[in-house]
Amino acid sequence: MSRIIVDRLVAGYGAVTVLRDISLEVGAGELVALLGVNGNGKSTLLNCILGFIRPRSGRIVLETQGRTVDLLTRSPHEITNLGIASVPEGRRLVPNLTVEENLLLAGGGPRGRKDIAANLAFCFETFPILAERRRQYSSTLSGGQQQLLAIARALMTSPEAIVIDEPSVGLAPIVVGQVIAAIRALQEARNLTILMAEQSFFQAIEVASRAYVLSHGKIIREFDQTSAVGDAEIRNAMMGVG
Amino acid sequence: MLILDLGLNALVTGVVLGSIYALVALGLAITFGLLHIPNVAHPAMVIGGSYAVAISNSYGMDPLVAGVLWAIPFYALGVILYEFYSRSFESRGRGNTLQSLTLFFGISLIIEVGLVVAFGTDLRSIRAGYIGHSLTVGFIVMPYRFLIPAALAPVVIFLLWLYMTRTNTGLAIRAVAYEERALQICGLDPAAIKRHAFGIAMAMAALAGAALVITGPIDPFAGRAHIGRVFAVVVLAGMGTIPGTLVAAILIGVAESFVMTFLSPSWAPGVAFAILLATLGLRPNGLFGALR
Ligand SMILES: Nc1ncnc2c1ncn2[C@@H]1O[C@H](COP(=O)(O)OP(=O)(O)OP(=O)(O)O)[C@@H](O)[C@H]1O
Ligand SMILES: [Mg+2]
Repeated sequence: MSRIIVDRLVAGYGAVTVLRDISLEVGAGELVALLGVNGNGKSTLLNCILGFIRPRSGRIVLETQGRTVDLLTRSPHEITNLGIASVPEGRRLVPNLTVEENLLLAGGGPRGRKDIAANLAFCFETFPILAERRRQYSSTLSGGQQQLLAIARALMTSPEAIVIDEPSVGLAPIVVGQVIAAIRALQEARNLTILMAEQSFFQAIEVASRAYVLSHGKIIREFDQTSAVGDAEIRNAMMGVG
Repeated sequence: MLILDLGLNALVTGVVLGSIYALVALGLAITFGLLHIPNVAHPAMVIGGSYAVAISNSYGMDPLVAGVLWAIPFYALGVILYEFYSRSFESRGRGNTLQSLTLFFGISLIIEVGLVVAFGTDLRSIRAGYIGHSLTVGFIVMPYRFLIPAALAPVVIFLLWLYMTRTNTGLAIRAVAYEERALQICGLDPAAIKRHAFGIAMAMAALAGAALVITGPIDPFAGRAHIGRVFAVVVLAGMGTIPGTLVAAILIGVAESFVMTFLSPSWAPGVAFAILLATLGLRPNGLFGALR
């Protein structure tokens, strides 16, 4: 069980500041949505948590198994091995490896190694289409299948938390529903801590227990009970008129 | 009948030569084929391996045993060299192909000059019981000094292929040039993977050096004759394939052997270049290149 805490984070690229004073928290076993329209800094924030971007100031810590780890001093692969997996923007699958090899690459790392057989069986059981396509190059999968593979790959590292960047992007509406449902099912089955960035909030808030709205690099709203919030209210908040 | 005999002899010679070429190209199949680093110094490294093996041999060690033992320090050298390379280019985001080529060209010269200073320019050869003997099957006569290194190639290539397809590190080596971030989110350090792969490539240079010096005497510049050919082998095989290296090298060996037998030995060095150009023009992904 792990908890991710972001505290007064400031980050950007060169002279541009993208995130200003961001504080948020993802509790153990919670599915939290990070909502915001294009270019508001969702990926930037997730990449700070994953160690790909060094913020200018602020803190990011992980609480896991009774200890508190400062993530800002860790490199991306170390953060993975602390139990935070990633389903990144653009999926980042290895095109010249097969579906199964992509999974084994993740599963054979330091963290998932001892459970590799069980994890692989679980992924193939949860996503039968991946079992069917196991010998195919990942680049030959459809967009939706690639997204499922990216999610399955995250599971192969035996994570406690997963950071997911816009799982719905580029997918047909019917597939979006399936992908989001799969994320929800996994979160419950494995009691995962999940932070999920989305801009098509409609499905995201169905499954999330809480949501933050990011606009122009700031958290402008926080919804504690997404089920009790109307769509119009969230849409307005995301558009900055709420 | 004579034509048939000549043809068969050329074929067998070509297969044997090609197998040895595969061993010489194997390190490049890793650095260039998998890591996309244009290591033009690879043939010079192979000759460095030949000299290392020759030294051990002068104390009575079997050249193949020496090649296997030298593979270990060569691995370490490769790790150090990659570290130097990545610090001077890649990590600063300035790693363009032209700069890398210049660096490895420089390394090639340094190795050659180093060998000249240390050992002079005289030809250097080794001693082993089987050198000077031949295997005769029918009318085909094949010296052991070619047969033994040629037999080593499929064994080494098979083991390397197993490593690249059956181990986590092998998968990571195949992935690292395509999607570094994928490695990181799998919990693996891309820099460590590349260092390791470069180390393996240098270890292959030690083995290939042993093979080459068994076939005949070498001098510090003997690698130069191989530069065009090793790139032709890797490009014809297709970037990223290990077993393809053997097939491509044998095709080139056979082509050279036929040109030598039926046209003129002086044309043989051009064969590899012709094949390289033809591949780039007709089938840029090579025979077995991974898609994309
Ligand atoms: N590598 C970069 N260099 C410079 N600016 C960048 C870089 N990456 C992102 N930005 C800028 O930072 C801002 C936030 O980008 P970010 O990718 O975090 O947004 P996002 O919320 O994930 O958007 P989207 O929904 O389109 O993925 C944008 O204005 C973008 O132009
Ligand atoms: Mg984004």
